[in-house]
Amino acid sequence: MKFKSQQFGYWFFASAMLLLVLQVLYGFIMGFAHMGYDNLHEWIPFNTARAVHTNLLVVWLLLGFMGSAYYIIPEEADREIYWPKLVMPQLISFLLVGVVAVGGYHVNWWEGRKFLEIPRPLDWLVVANVLLFLANVGMTIWNGKRFTTTSIVLYLGLLFAALLYLPGMIAFDNQTLDSFYRWWVVHLWVEGVWELIMGGMLCFLLIKLTGIDREVLEKWLYIIVGLTFLSGILGTGHHYYYIGTPSYWLWIGGVFSALEPVAFLGMAIYAIAVARKGERKHPNRIALQWTVGSAIVAFVGAGFLGLAHTLPQVNLWTHGTLVTAMHGHMAFWGAYAMINFAIIAYALPQMTGRKLWDQPSAMLAFWCSNIGMICMTGAFAVAGITQVNLERRMGLDFLRVQEELHVHFFGLILAACLFALGIGFFILNFIRHGTPNTEAIGMDVDGSISDEGEFATS
Amino acid sequence: MLSKRQARAFFLGGTFVFSAAFVGLTIDTHRHVPKQTNAHLITPEVVAGKKIWEDNNCMGCHTLFGEGAYYAPELTKTVERRGKAWLRIFLKDPEKMYPGRRKMVNYHFTDEEIEHVIAFFEWAGQVDLNGFPADPPLRDALAATSGVEYPEPLPLPVPAILETAACTGCHRVAGQGGDAGALIGAPPLDGVHLRKTRDELIQWISDPQAIKPGTAMPDLVPSVISDAQVIEIVDYLYSPAN
Repeated sequence: MKFKSQQFGYWFFASAMLLLVLQVLYGFIMGFAHMGYDNLHEWIPFNTARAVHTNLLVVWLLLGFMGSAYYIIPEEADREIYWPKLVMPQLISFLLVGVVAVGGYHVNWWEGRKFLEIPRPLDWLVVANVLLFLANVGMTIWNGKRFTTTSIVLYLGLLFAALLYLPGMIAFDNQTLDSFYRWWVVHLWVEGVWELIMGGMLCFLLIKLTGIDREVLEKWLYIIVGLTFLSGILGTGHHYYYIGTPSYWLWIGGVFSALEPVAFLGMAIYAIAVARKGERKHPNRIALQWTVGSAIVAFVGAGFLGLAHTLPQVNLWTHGTLVTAMHGHMAFWGAYAMINFAIIAYALPQMTGRKLWDQPSAMLAFWCSNIGMICMTGAFAVAGITQVNLERRMGLDFLRVQEELHVHFFGLILAACLFALGIGFFILNFIRHGTPNTEAIGMDVDGSISDEGEFATS
Repeated sequence: MLSKRQARAFFLGGTFVFSAAFVGLTIDTHRHVPKQTNAHLITPEVVAGKKIWEDNNCMGCHTLFGEGAYYAPELTKTVERRGKAWLRIFLKDPEKMYPGRRKMVNYHFTDEEIEHVIAFFEWAGQVDLNGFPADPPLRDALAATSGVEYPEPLPLPVPAILETAACTGCHRVAGQGGDAGALIGAPPLDGVHLRKTRDELIQWISDPQAIKPGTAMPDLVPSVISDAQVIEIVDYLYSPAN
């Protein structure tokens, strides 16, 4: 790690881990409720648990992205953060908004729009906060010693993520239009600009961990994010099949969202090829494992499982069933949670000077969480397909079908225990690193690759 | 092989072209939505219902237009499926309708609020959703194998209360209702005189929980069905026996 201000990333990552733990806890509440054990109903009804579960996910992923930006941008721009004094207030105010929002969900204070439940007054605080973050990172790049594609792609992703938050704040009396613009935020985030952020982080990690020439990696980064937008923007149409919008969205959404896996496949092939080709073996193998793993699981979860129910002929039956939860869990885990874990696994030793990448906890974290998530996805898949067949195809009553699904939620909870164990190992390893210290500044913790720009592939 | 410059041009060019296409389609969608969604039917009551829907995060359990969470039923066609009378009873005290089963928060809606929520659902049910939700394609195949026979009409006229959602929301009687209820264990009422005595039936309707704790049959007497109506129902159902 070269610059002192990169250490700010640590506090973002630590906060993200805290929120992740809460997210998992609320996930268990929902799993048990689905199984028939809704003992917390009086205090935490399902809609509260659900809003907390998904919003904490968004907030901790954003914290991870912000932490990554504070870590990556100084290194890429070759200078300290422009306004270091503003970083911690930005983090704390962001967390405060998050805590107030989550607290509000427990007392029926929310907007009731899936994924964007944050009440309007808090929306404005989020906007102000993110503007502060973007200004700080932007000024760092602008006044930096060098411009790199990696930092530009990462920054563009963050900037567009902020801009695309705004359409979600327009109010309509028509539920259809409300929904239409809600997807501008949700879809264009996760199947659009967040992939830019992911691509930027992936590229940075691959440069650092494999020593392959930056020019080659960044060229492919452009191709991959180009493919993302080529398919992802009009792919928004797969949310417009059945909400009261014109029927041309059926084929536009169908065709373009069917192409969405191509970008994820590109990303997976890119990560695997680069990892195999890399000449300089960075000793932090677990960081590379998370990096490549992220690209592969993103392809399976977001790409393949998304494709499985994105065509309108299939989606007519799966729309609004647990099949969506199956795709959603593995997609978010692979694409966004794992890339955050990758950067944390890489950056922690750099920020603290402690090399804990060979510890059993690091390895167990990877395997338990991933196997757990694969099994969870399987449980959701079985529950979802059963629901589709009994309720949507045979016409049985909703509640009666849900009772048939209890057993699959028992399976889900078992798998989730393994997943949570993996998260526990990751956090244990995180804590063992201790906090950032000044000795780590200016020292490259692997000792072999000092400036990635000077290495070229043979 | 592609140069980095060309790769960048691909990214920027592609993004520009597809963003422009998306904006164009959005403008066109705005032109079609008012007609497709019957925007002229969005009355102040519908808007008030939508606000209740949002303020209580109903989407946190239910789906509407297939969007939301998967813990509670899809509500787009709920007015068509259940009828307004059933919804009025249900929304007053959701747990009463499904005792011992998955719970819904009781929001203690006023009668006015309930009408607003129903108005919102009624509007939603009329939106052209390109074929969603589809009719279950296997339902007829299942019905064909179950061999249900429709009974002869009974001698007495059907009491009005029996034809409301209070009864036909779950039970099939005189060839009406019961589509959903048959699947949660609510039996058809035609021919009930062959299975139960008259007194048993009166006791059962009046206080089902006392006879079978945890049954899905809600306590409807006297809040929805009066004692006199209970007798009217029973007289009707026992008319073939007399």
